[in-house]
Amino acid sequence: MAKAKLSMRDRYRLLTRDLDWEPTYVEPEKLYPHTRYEGIKIHDWDKWEDPFRLTVDSYSKYQAEKDKKLYAVIDGFAQGQGHLSLTDARYVNSLKLFLAGVTPLEYAAHRHFGYLARHLDGPGARFASLCQSIDELRHAQTEIHTISQYNKYYGGLHDFGKMHDRVWYLSVPKSFFDDGLSAGPFEFLTAISFSFEYLLTNLLFVPFMSGASFNGDLATMTFGFSAQSDESRHMTLGLEVIKFMLEQDEDNVPIIQDWVDKWFWRGYRVLGLVASMMDYMLPKKIMSWKEAFELYLEQQMLEGLFPDLEFYGIRPPRHVEQAITEKEYMSHQVYWTLYQFAFAANFNATVPEPAEMDWMSQAYPDTFDRYYRPLWERARSLQEQGKRFFFQGLPMLCQICQIPMAFTEPGDPTNIAVRTSQFRGERFNFCSDGCKWIFDREPEKYVQAWLPVHQIYQGNCGGTTIPEVLDWYGIQDGVDNGEYLTSPDKTNWDKWHTPSVVGGGA
Amino acid sequence: MAVKALYDYDYPSKDRQEVYGDDFLVHVMWANNMMFASPACFRAPRSMSFADFKSQMIDSWAASDPDYDPAAPRDWQVNGEPLSSTDVSLEDSGVGHKGLFAFRT
Repeated sequence: MAKAKLSMRDRYRLLTRDLDWEPTYVEPEKLYPHTRYEGIKIHDWDKWEDPFRLTVDSYSKYQAEKDKKLYAVIDGFAQGQGHLSLTDARYVNSLKLFLAGVTPLEYAAHRHFGYLARHLDGPGARFASLCQSIDELRHAQTEIHTISQYNKYYGGLHDFGKMHDRVWYLSVPKSFFDDGLSAGPFEFLTAISFSFEYLLTNLLFVPFMSGASFNGDLATMTFGFSAQSDESRHMTLGLEVIKFMLEQDEDNVPIIQDWVDKWFWRGYRVLGLVASMMDYMLPKKIMSWKEAFELYLEQQMLEGLFPDLEFYGIRPPRHVEQAITEKEYMSHQVYWTLYQFAFAANFNATVPEPAEMDWMSQAYPDTFDRYYRPLWERARSLQEQGKRFFFQGLPMLCQICQIPMAFTEPGDPTNIAVRTSQFRGERFNFCSDGCKWIFDREPEKYVQAWLPVHQIYQGNCGGTTIPEVLDWYGIQDGVDNGEYLTSPDKTNWDKWHTPSVVGGGA
Repeated sequence: MAVKALYDYDYPSKDRQEVYGDDFLVHVMWANNMMFASPACFRAPRSMSFADFKSQMIDSWAASDPDYDPAAPRDWQVNGEPLSSTDVSLEDSGVGHKGLFAFRT
C-alpha cells in the first residue's frame, strides 16, 4: 500500500528542523559564540514558531514566479517608453533617494541575515533568517533593475553604491544600518526585524510604493507588489522574534525595552527623509507625512501593537511623544534642509508649486502658513532675482542621526534644539533628547561615527573645496545636483513632452 | 552603560581635537533666521581672533542670505552663555572644539 502523503506540518519538520543536530564534539557555546554576550537568555529554541513553514523548494518556486512577472513588466515598461508616463520629472527625485538611500540597506540586510542564518542556535530561526537573507538580496537586485530603467534618462542614479558610502545625507541611512550591523544578533533582530520592519515599515514602504503608483511609475509599483508578500512575512517575523525573546525569560524584558526605545528613535530620524519625500518630492501626493504618521504609527502601533505588548511588560518607545509633536513640521524642516544643501546631493530640489503649497496649508494648518510658506516664498523670490538660495558652507551635524541640526525644541519650530554630552573631555552635539539618550547609553560606540562634515574638514573626502568633494561623491555638478528648474532633468522632460519633437531622445 | 562586546571595546574618537592639529571645529548659529536650516560648521585655527573668525568665515557664510548686514550680529553667545568679550582668540573665547557660537540680528 502506498504511504499516506505527509501533512504539511510533518513535511516541513522533516525538511527543516530534522536536519539539525545536537553538537557532541564541542559545547553549543563554541558553535554559537555570539548569542550569549548581550544578556538575552534563550532556554528553548524549539519554542520559535515558524509562521510560514517555508521550505527551500516552495520558497524558490514562489520567488521565481514573482521575478518572472516583474521582469515582464519591466520589459514592457522599457519597450513602451514608460518613463514618459510619469506625472512629472520631479517624481524621479524620490527614486534617486530610494536607490541610493534604501537599496544598499537591502543588500546590507541580506548580508546580516546570512550571518544570522549561521549564528542563531535554533534551526527554525536560522532557516527564517536564510529566507529573509535571500529576500533582501532579491529586493536589492530587483530595485536596481527596476530603477535602472530611469538611469538612461535621468541624472543622479549612477553609482548609487558609492554615493551611499560617501554622500553627506546618505550617511543618515547608512550609519543607521551600520549601527545595527555592529550590534549583537538579538539587538539587530530588535532593530531591523522588529523596529524597522514591523513598527516603522509602513512609513517607509507605503510612501515609496504608493508614490510610484500615484505618479505613473508602473515599474517601481510592480516591484512594490513583488516585494509586498516578502515584506508581510518580514513583519510577521519581526513580531514573532520579539515575542519569542520576551517569552523566554523575564530578564530579557528590560534589555528589549531599551532596544525598542533606541531603535524607534533611530528609525524615526531616518524616516525624516521619507517624510520630506512624501510632502515635497511627489508631484501627486498620496497623503501627508502627518496623516501617514497618525495612521501607521499612532493608530496601528501605539493603539494597536503596544497594548498587546504591555502583557509582556513592554511600554511604548521612549521619546515617541516628541515624534508626535514633530509630525506638524518635521517634513518641512528636513526638506528645507535638502533644498539648501541640494548642491551636494544626487537629486534636484525646488520650491513647491503654488498648488502644492495650498495643499500643505490644508495638511498642516497650524504650521505651514505661519512658518514655512514665508520661507518658500522668499526662496522663490530670491530665485526669480537669480539668487537661488544655497547654504554656502557646511552644516553642524548630530553625532547620532547625522542629520544637520535642523530640528527644533519640541513644539517651537523657530528655535533649533542643541543637546550636548561630554565624554572623555570631548564635546558631542545632538539634535534631540532621543539622539542624546542613545549616545549616553553607549558613548564608546558613537565617538567613532563617520560624520561627513568632519571628514571633509579632515581632508578625507577628495579635498576641501565643493568641486573636489562632489567629484569624490561621484556627483556631476550641474547635472545630478542643485536646483530642479534649471536641471537637465527638467529640460529633457519639457523637450520629451513637446508634441513637435519626434523621437524624444535626449 | 557600556557597550556589550565579546572583547575589550575601546576606540578613539574619530573627531578628537588632536586630529585637527592647531585647529578647532567651531559651530555658528544665526538664531533668529529660519533661512538657515541648521548652524554651520567651520574649521578654524585656535589662535584666530574672534574678529577675524567673524570677518573671514562667518560673514561669507551668513551672506548666503542676501539681506545679511555684517554690522547687524548682536547678542553673541558661546555655548549658551553670553560672550563676555569679542576681543579674544577662539581659544580664549571658551568655545572649545565642536562648541557653538550664536548670534541674533
